[in-house]
Amino acid sequence: MFKLNLKIAWRNLWKNKGYTFINILGLSIGMASCILIFIFIRYQMSFDEGFKNENRIYRVVSSWAYNDGNQFFSQGVPLPLTPAMRNDFSPYIEKISAIENSVGLIKINNVAGKEQLKAIENVFYVEPDFFEIFNYNWLSGNYASLKNPNSVVLSKEMAEKFFGNWKNALGKNINYEGNLNYTVTGIIDDVAENNSVPLKIMLSYKSFKDRNLEKWGSVGSNSESYFKLKPNVNIETLNGPLKSFLKKYYTEKAPGKEGHIFQPLSDIHYNDKFGNFSGRIMPIKQLYGLGVIGFFLIITASINFINLATAQAISRSKEVGVRKVMGSQRSQLVTQFLTETLTIVLISVLIGSVLTEIALPGMQSLFDAKISFSIFQHPIILVFMLLLVVFVSLLAGFYPAIVMSGFNPALAIKNKISANTGGLGLRKILVVVQFTITVTLIIGTLVILQQMKYIREQPLGFNPTAIAMVDLLNDSLKTQRFATFKTQLKQVPGIKEVSFCRTAPSSQNNNGSTFSYNGGKDADFQVNTKNADEDYLKTFDLKLVAGRNLVKSDTTNEYMVNETLLKKLNIRNPNEAIGKMISMGDMKAPIVGVIQDFKNKSLHETIDPILIGSLKPRYFYAAIKLNSKQITGTMKVVEEIWQNTFPESVYNQSFLDDQINAYYQGEKIMGTLFKVFAGVIIFISFIGLFGLISFVATQRTKEVAIRKVLGASTIELVKMLNGSFLVMVFIANLVAWPLAYLFVSKWLNGFAYRIEISIWPFALAMLISMAITLITVSIRSYKAAVANTIDALKYE
Amino acid sequence: MIELKNIEKYYSSKGIKHYVLRHVTTTIKQGEFVSIMGPSGSGKSTLLNILGMLEEPTYGTFEFLGEDVTSLNERKRIELYRNHIGFVFQAYHLIDEMTVYENIEAPLLYKKVGSSERASRIANLLDKFNIVAKKDLFPNQLSGGQQQLVGIARALATQPSIILADEPTGNLQSAQAEEIMQLFQKLNKEEGITIIQVTHSEKNATYGNRILNIQDGVIKEDSPTQAPQMGGVV
Repeated sequence: MFKLNLKIAWRNLWKNKGYTFINILGLSIGMASCILIFIFIRYQMSFDEGFKNENRIYRVVSSWAYNDGNQFFSQGVPLPLTPAMRNDFSPYIEKISAIENSVGLIKINNVAGKEQLKAIENVFYVEPDFFEIFNYNWLSGNYASLKNPNSVVLSKEMAEKFFGNWKNALGKNINYEGNLNYTVTGIIDDVAENNSVPLKIMLSYKSFKDRNLEKWGSVGSNSESYFKLKPNVNIETLNGPLKSFLKKYYTEKAPGKEGHIFQPLSDIHYNDKFGNFSGRIMPIKQLYGLGVIGFFLIITASINFINLATAQAISRSKEVGVRKVMGSQRSQLVTQFLTETLTIVLISVLIGSVLTEIALPGMQSLFDAKISFSIFQHPIILVFMLLLVVFVSLLAGFYPAIVMSGFNPALAIKNKISANTGGLGLRKILVVVQFTITVTLIIGTLVILQQMKYIREQPLGFNPTAIAMVDLLNDSLKTQRFATFKTQLKQVPGIKEVSFCRTAPSSQNNNGSTFSYNGGKDADFQVNTKNADEDYLKTFDLKLVAGRNLVKSDTTNEYMVNETLLKKLNIRNPNEAIGKMISMGDMKAPIVGVIQDFKNKSLHETIDPILIGSLKPRYFYAAIKLNSKQITGTMKVVEEIWQNTFPESVYNQSFLDDQINAYYQGEKIMGTLFKVFAGVIIFISFIGLFGLISFVATQRTKEVAIRKVLGASTIELVKMLNGSFLVMVFIANLVAWPLAYLFVSKWLNGFAYRIEISIWPFALAMLISMAITLITVSIRSYKAAVANTIDALKYE
Repeated sequence: MIELKNIEKYYSSKGIKHYVLRHVTTTIKQGEFVSIMGPSGSGKSTLLNILGMLEEPTYGTFEFLGEDVTSLNERKRIELYRNHIGFVFQAYHLIDEMTVYENIEAPLLYKKVGSSERASRIANLLDKFNIVAKKDLFPNQLSGGQQQLVGIARALATQPSIILADEPTGNLQSAQAEEIMQLFQKLNKEEGITIIQVTHSEKNATYGNRILNIQDGVIKEDSPTQAPQMGGVV
């Protein structure tokens, strides 16, 4: 029976090639999108999984609550926290380990002692307990050696990079940052990419030296701490001890109230309040958003199917009637129709898989992630595809099957089933639902694109174009070469300005400090301190509103501030601040200039109060303003000069433009996704519409012919056929507007600098949807209207 | 075999009853060949639909094989379709997507007849109706008469005891029509299959042995066929 059903299904599909094509086209594109979304979500959900007892692993993170209601979070902890917790939380915690991220120059010497390889690498100082918390696959050696200073554990990849074959690496030496040699004492298997701690080079924590090792008041995002709970301990029970812990160690008065949070390992990849070492974060909300879009896509494609199937139902009423009087049960007919749906869905999923494979490289480069569509590697993908097939078959096939199998045989045999059976009302509702989704997505896309454009055109308060940021080395030996380096650079013809600074005006790297103004008590907010030389203003095209530029100096003798700082201190007239003293710790200097506000972070955030002073040992970058016509050539010369100045290290450069664009990577991805998926949904909806109008036109062929005989013009006929569709799409617009408004206003609230929602995206979406409807529908109804009258009337 | 008592069928709209059938009482015995005649709108098709359990009478009782089937649940009705009743339609109503062979096979599949039994029955029918060569053709590749032959073969496949035919020759040319009627007569005489047909044609009615004449929903006349059948049996 099933085989026969399948055969009949195949013949039926072949007979109605046009509708079958529309169905398969819509479903396969919809399913491909769904599969892509699923494999992306699967990849994201696989982060930090697979460790033994992973439910007991936590990260300690920090928070500060300020009097003005602001809260600030960091992924890092004060350096003394880990040993203190190891001691104070011992009843609850099995193991705790500090891990410190650092970047530096690695050098490998060959047997003869000659330099063989040098590279800038990301390294981690870890305690041996770290490997008691996370179980990695050890290829050779062990972590016990990390108890001693000057040991290093390498990943297989690094060991092969440094020594050719990892089997030869044990016992060899590497040099880190010039002054220390480390002996390789262990090799671990490469850590998978979907890991928030991308371990490659692990140095003994004992070798980590920092002036803040004992300081509770300093937190850097490079210093993290992980622990593993004892079995059967509830994380809630740590709250009490945490309170007394905070009281015990945070004794100094600070503007923000310190706190710590125990973040579960499974939360690290999704929580955008905190960063992580891999720099990969996927807010769970975005995953939900993607899931919802996927769901909508499949709904839209299924609606096409339902509409075309119920519309076609009349032509199959005779078959239903005959089968019923031959003794077919209703359930057997339902099975038969579902078999047909299943056939279509199976074909679609196969084509969808091919489309997925085609679209995968684009998706990988968009998300910069190694997403895999291998059902052997991840059988869950196959399970998902099967579920998708079952879900779509039932969703799309069940209702038409019920309608068709429910025909009264007496009426069906006499062809008295009218065109309205099979739920014309429902079909209209479904079209409205479909276009509501479509229009909402169009509006969403338009608003996102508008906001992105707004951000791109937002005045930053400085000029970031054609500025290269070249890394500087700032140990005392190398800062001595700064002056010569700068002079040499300034002689290069393609270079307009050079400034040595800690960061560019806009940077992800910010440094907050407590301060007091004009001898008063400490301000209740922190100031963002930047260090820069006297060429900073010229290089970045920053404007002074009062006072003067800094005078050339290697130490902090004077400060420039921004307008926001004065606003926060309630100073109306910038001139009033000139000459007033700023104290920060043991440093004290007068304000000499006030700079017009500039955007110092992404436009999600408001402008910080900023303080700029000269301090040579804190110059991490040479900002080089280039003649934009000869960038490539000039940068080659810059690299050459750099290599001659700092021959012992590795050159690294980036462009400020790129850095600023990177802030909006998330939005860019979202914009692209919306554009693509809106396009897909529009396409699916409109081929569905085309199918439906084709059907209506066929159904009404006779009516059209009679009307023509009665004297109706072609335009009148086209209007008649189009009317109901335009009304449906119009209603869909009305439903979509409030939905879209809610969605876009919520999204825009995430930006400190945002467009106001105007009527235009809404009006434009209506215009687009109505126009495409009109075109789609008219093509078909025109054909029906000019068809030969005699042919239509001849049939009876 | 069939007993109708006081069958009434009406549709009410705005409180007014429009009668289609009134006080229809009759008995049809096993082996009869009955022709229901009457002008358009007289209710003959409705009567056939009631006999085929496609419609329910508003009033009255209908016994089929001694069992009251006036209102029957779907399962029971399907049982009767599978075992006792074969339908033949004016417009043949073959399933367009199925070949001749598959069309005849379909009711056997619903009846869950084993595959070897199925094959032999179909082979028999194809042979009997001289359509073996056409078994792999689709309905639209056949002439009207051939389609109706397939329709009858399909109705006979489950070996029913009664065939209900609604204007079986209505769409056919006279030569083909004659062929079909002779086939009916042969089935009735040789295999004892009860046949009830609705027809407009006096000539067709003469093939049977009883005529029910219906006018305005009432049986006006119930008579044996006038002249004995002339034409030879095929």
